[in-house]
Amino acid sequence: MVLPRSLTLRVTLVFTLIVALAASALGIYLYRAFVDEIVRRDDIQLLGKLRQVQVLLGRPGAAELLRTQADVFRDTMSGQENSLVRILAADGRLLADINALGEDYPVPPSAGAAPGTAAIVTWSTRRGEPGRVVAGSARLGAGEMTTAVTVVVARAYAERSAMFAGYRRQIAGAAAVSALLAAILAALMLRRGLLPLRGMAAHAALVRPGTLAHRLDAAGAPSELQPLAEAINAMLDRLQAGYARLSGFSADLAHEFRTPVANLLGQSQVMLAQARSVADYEALTASNIEELERLARMIDSMLFLARAEQDEVKLQRRPLAALDELRKVADFYDGMAQERALALACTGGGTVLADPALLRRALANLLSNAVRHADEGSTIVLHAEERGGRTALSVSNVGPAVAAPHLAHLFDRFYRADSARSEAEGSTGLGLSIVSAIMALHGGESGVAADGARITFTLRFPAI
Amino acid sequence: MAILVIEDEPKTGDYLQRGLSESGFAVRLARNGRDGLFIAREEEIELVVLDVMLPRMDGWQVLEALRADPATEGIPVLFLTARDEVEDRVRGLELGADDYLVKPFAFVELLARIRTLLRRGPVREDELIRIGDMEIDVLRRRVRRGGLPITLTAQEFALLHLLARRQGQVLSRSLIASQVWDMNFDSDTNVIDAAVRRLRRKIDDPFPDKLIHTRRGMGYVCDTEAVR
Repeated sequence: MVLPRSLTLRVTLVFTLIVALAASALGIYLYRAFVDEIVRRDDIQLLGKLRQVQVLLGRPGAAELLRTQADVFRDTMSGQENSLVRILAADGRLLADINALGEDYPVPPSAGAAPGTAAIVTWSTRRGEPGRVVAGSARLGAGEMTTAVTVVVARAYAERSAMFAGYRRQIAGAAAVSALLAAILAALMLRRGLLPLRGMAAHAALVRPGTLAHRLDAAGAPSELQPLAEAINAMLDRLQAGYARLSGFSADLAHEFRTPVANLLGQSQVMLAQARSVADYEALTASNIEELERLARMIDSMLFLARAEQDEVKLQRRPLAALDELRKVADFYDGMAQERALALACTGGGTVLADPALLRRALANLLSNAVRHADEGSTIVLHAEERGGRTALSVSNVGPAVAAPHLAHLFDRFYRADSARSEAEGSTGLGLSIVSAIMALHGGESGVAADGARITFTLRFPAI
Repeated sequence: MAILVIEDEPKTGDYLQRGLSESGFAVRLARNGRDGLFIAREEEIELVVLDVMLPRMDGWQVLEALRADPATEGIPVLFLTARDEVEDRVRGLELGADDYLVKPFAFVELLARIRTLLRRGPVREDELIRIGDMEIDVLRRRVRRGGLPITLTAQEFALLHLLARRQGQVLSRSLIASQVWDMNFDSDTNVIDAAVRRLRRKIDDPFPDKLIHTRRGMGYVCDTEAVR
């Protein structure tokens, strides 16, 4: 069964169903109790009638009366048309039969002088209406001249069926009306109850990139809707932060591009303003190439980051000996390290499941950073460690302390703890962002920790 | 025999034509795919540099047409793409291209690729390379200059061997990083500069005639004189 999509309709239907079921159950219970009570009263009446006949038969001369003046007896006995009385002799001979309706009812076995309700038997009239019948023993006549007879008293309850049917109709009607009322009330109440939700929807519809600061009124919402309002607000917080970061990033990007482009424009125009020597033109072109290479690298890095964020970079993971990878990258940076009298130490071991080219790129970016910032003459430690199937690679160096507030932002794009430094050395400001994107692609994470003058960047790979 | 450049972007086409001509190649330039295909069929072409994004007939169609014609199917094709997408590269290579470059690329990189495809240019696979008074014994990994032995580390030797094998060719830093250290991404240019400085201290500094020359903005070249 397909539930309707409207919550109001759905709840109304369920609620109505519940009310209809409860009303019907109550009706059925009341009806049963009512029927039982009526039957009990009828039975008591029937037994009373039996008792009356017994007493009547016990009077002196009753036998005579019965034989000679049956109509008088009949008149005495019958009051109601539907009262049927039959008196049988011990040998089964019919002594009297008062049966105005001409009904044919069964004769139950005699239940003694004082039958209880248990002895009463149900029968059915020719028209299919219910009847009750009971048989008891009696003494015909008084004094010494008595004979044992069987008295059968029966009744047909023609009016009962009609009454019960009417009662049933009333109960069904009441149940139907209460279900209808429940449906109307439920729909009205739900409409009212869901008003705050409509309010939230209207509020949410107002949220635009420029109005991200808008928040839903979580405190004023009904308690059931508070978690939703809070969740939506938390989502807006994250969106706002992400949006701010993106706009900041675009602004940074424009700024990062502006400097080299300004240089290219300016120096080219200055050169063209006068006739220069070939050497001057060559120097200009070479300088332009350097700026352009930096721009090209930046574009390349931006594209890589964008693709990594969209998960468009296909990884070709292979198990790699971690120490070998550290050594390869250390080898690459050996020349640069020597110029600053830095030692590169590769330690540890283990296996790492990674895309070799991307792992090298990440490690190279970390090492490039370390070689730039390490104190001259110090040692840069590249360490690999496998613990419980997880491999962590780290690059640590001793250098100028990075203040704690900067640490958290080191992986942000274009973030520079020391803005004066990296510009001149051709860094794009995207190296560490690329490291962190590469780790995200691998399902791992990158981290940084500072211990005094020693700063350690760690790449944590997930368990293989 | 000429190199056919099929490129619609005017500045790119012009500088490719000029640069390749000055590097000693005869160059034919086509500004659209149809003209390019016509030239490839009618003239003696030894290599095609093909831009993928072309008006009227795109690079892929040109490539298919080249490969479908028996007269042109053997011509090596190097395609240029601005989109660094794996699918693009795979498509190009599947259609029968021989190599590709992603824009923006360094001109020396293009030159190196073209020379490799044509198996021309001085790539020396000799066991003994002599440049000026320097002798490189490739098998024994020994270097002598002016008769004096020079001790090099494995990386220094690999770098010198690469430069010497391609004597007279300017090698870009990214090519050097890729060939010597297997670092296939645009890394710090300073790394290669430092490595070359270190090599020079052993190979060039003690001698008056320099063999390793810097071509500013382009890369490094090894030769007896700083040829242009």
